[in-house]
Amino acid sequence: MCVGLPAKVTELKDGVAVINAGGAEREVSSEMIADLAPGDYVMVHAGMAIAKITGDDEAQAEDVMDGLEDLLS
Amino acid sequence: MNETITLAHGSGGRQTSELIGDLFKKYFDNDLLTADDAAVLPRPEGRLSMSTDGFIVSPAEFPGGNIGKLSICGTVNDIACMGAAPLYLTCGFVIEEGFETARLERIVESMAKTCKEVGVKIVAGDTKVAGKGQVDGVFITTTGIGVLPDDMHTGGACAQPGDCVIVTGDVGRHGCTILLERNEFKIKADVTSDCAPLSTAVDAAMGVTHDLHVVRDATRGGVGTVLYEIADQAGVGVTLNAKDIPVDETVRGVCDMLGLNPLYLACEGRLVLVAPAEYADGLIAALRETPYAKDAAVIGEITEANPGKVILNTEIGTKTILPLPGGELLPRIC
Amino acid sequence: MSDRKPTAAERAAEIITSYDGPPIRIMEVCGTHTHEIFRLGIRGMLPENIRLISGPGCPVCVTPVGYIDEAVWLALEKGCTLCTFGDLIRVPGTELSLAGARAKGAKVEMVYSPVDAVDYAEAHPDEQVVFLAVGFETTTPAACVAVRKAKEKRLSNFSLLTANKTMDNAYRALNGAADAFLYPGHVSVVTGTDIYQKLRDEVGMSGVVCGFTGPEILTALALIVRGVQKGEPFFANAYPRVVTDEGSPEGRALIAETMECVDTEWRGLGVIPQSGLKLREEFAAFDARLKYGIPPMEGRANPACRCGDVLQGILRPDECPCFGTACIPEHPVGACMVSDEGACSAFYQYNIE
Repeated sequence: MCVGLPAKVTELKDGVAVINAGGAEREVSSEMIADLAPGDYVMVHAGMAIAKITGDDEAQAEDVMDGLEDLLS
Repeated sequence: MNETITLAHGSGGRQTSELIGDLFKKYFDNDLLTADDAAVLPRPEGRLSMSTDGFIVSPAEFPGGNIGKLSICGTVNDIACMGAAPLYLTCGFVIEEGFETARLERIVESMAKTCKEVGVKIVAGDTKVAGKGQVDGVFITTTGIGVLPDDMHTGGACAQPGDCVIVTGDVGRHGCTILLERNEFKIKADVTSDCAPLSTAVDAAMGVTHDLHVVRDATRGGVGTVLYEIADQAGVGVTLNAKDIPVDETVRGVCDMLGLNPLYLACEGRLVLVAPAEYADGLIAALRETPYAKDAAVIGEITEANPGKVILNTEIGTKTILPLPGGELLPRIC
Repeated sequence: MSDRKPTAAERAAEIITSYDGPPIRIMEVCGTHTHEIFRLGIRGMLPENIRLISGPGCPVCVTPVGYIDEAVWLALEKGCTLCTFGDLIRVPGTELSLAGARAKGAKVEMVYSPVDAVDYAEAHPDEQVVFLAVGFETTTPAACVAVRKAKEKRLSNFSLLTANKTMDNAYRALNGAADAFLYPGHVSVVTGTDIYQKLRDEVGMSGVVCGFTGPEILTALALIVRGVQKGEPFFANAYPRVVTDEGSPEGRALIAETMECVDTEWRGLGVIPQSGLKLREEFAAFDARLKYGIPPMEGRANPACRCGDVLQGILRPDECPCFGTACIPEHPVGACMVSDEGACSAFYQYNIE
């Protein structure tokens, strides 16, 4: 339902962030993330930065698999 | 000459002569292009290949080319794909009233430049001017003739199981360039069209072997569409390795933003070659020596299994189908 | 092969492919999951006793026919310019899709973001612009930002035709449709994970929040297999690099300050109480239904279409009598065949032996 694009924030001004994904740039709204800073990686959807990204998927997968039994609560 | 093209330029009178003399003749001049009703050409040796194509593109000028360069490359590439050396072209213009003359000159100039590079002559032409709003800027139709060796027999139906599938560079760049130029999605990116004449690339491949089963230029619908055409015509399957398909990083970024697949974005300077696998290394080496195929790569193979389908070996080691191309490219967002 | 340690994705794949217990039904409730699962060929690696069901997670697929009819009416009867995501263009209405309306002269502009539709309205003051606001918690904040911007700029030629939906009550309506759910990663970005703990504790629903890359989907599926084997309702977040427990308070506030909950119809599922959103009173001037007095639209779906049963996992797409004959992506009968994220379209396009 919600195509997300991981991208890097390069500029921020008045609730608008410029994001860069592999060289493709676009202005998006940053109103959903209070403490955004240039250099942060965000998930972008429909012209909005919806969340910060705090790591890569492979490292996360390692953590999930290592903690498999504990995660299931 | 006037700053813009008017209906009078298409009326056949003095202004038509002026347009032809100041613009078309100035750039297209050669010994076979005369003021008579038709060109008279020497009889070429060997079999002929002939093709025609109409070009409409908005915007008419874009990074890496314009509709003029496109109109020459398009027909030259179609002829080259049969293994033929392009000899002669004709071109027909339909120009919208009010079109800027300087812009038309840039277009004509790049047509001449591309013709010179390829070694092909424009031997006949036609100009019409249509009323404002009847066409979008300028439409160009080119028709071309080339000559090919007797032992060249390529065609979509000739692909055979075991053949390798080669693409001559990164995919989807032209379509991405046009999408960015239209600025409908307000994405900024430094992407240049791959628009290029491919006769030297085909020539290089023919230097390795004439046993090229399929040579096709991936235009509208991109490489994905061409592969489906081949699978359908030859009744074979195509298996691609996702990780081997060259895609420019920025094109990938734009596609990811809009949920598009670069395999379905248009190219205007990329060949898909299908040939016996034993020639793969030789073909790649020869292609990479030519100016527009420096990133040529083997991306897959022809199979007996899965006839009519294009299968992808994915980045996680599974197999999946490349979905059939749809009609209009619609960004997927929500 | 070398002795290298297997990657997490390989370990996850091992858990999934070696599963030989009782059948597990897993429902993904996100169209992008459906799309990525097919694109990555993940169905092909599942053992027979793990079945994936594509649930109602594609906004296009759950948008009722009447909504398209409303949009077509606005364009053709009122001359409005429709701004829309590309996803909606080909969805059949009772008589016309947006593409069909466009061929009859309707002005339809594709946009990447709802805010772009506001910019379009500002640049075209002589046009009446309506943005087709579909989507779930992830997409709705952008529509809210758009309408607030339009209000701030005092634009009188911009409005929203809302069909925004929320997932919480939809999950509850789906209770029992599967043994476990792949919860939508980007909806969870906004909602946070409390709702899933409640679903586990209150109604015994199990599921895992899942990201969208190969390793993410595989690890989430592995968690589900292990969870089901434990035999107790469970919840886990397998997408913590993006989804936090608390979600996005800012996103939820944007929605709450701009829109309010209403009962709404889901194609195939019927009306689900308090699962839709409409603009609050203070934004009434931007509500296309009020602004143009859109008459009630019945919205007749093709009676042969079984999208509803497909969305609930009652019917597999290829078990529908229309599938692949009357209903193909080029001539869709139902919405699930239109969207690239629709279950039927995915089944049709990825039909691999």
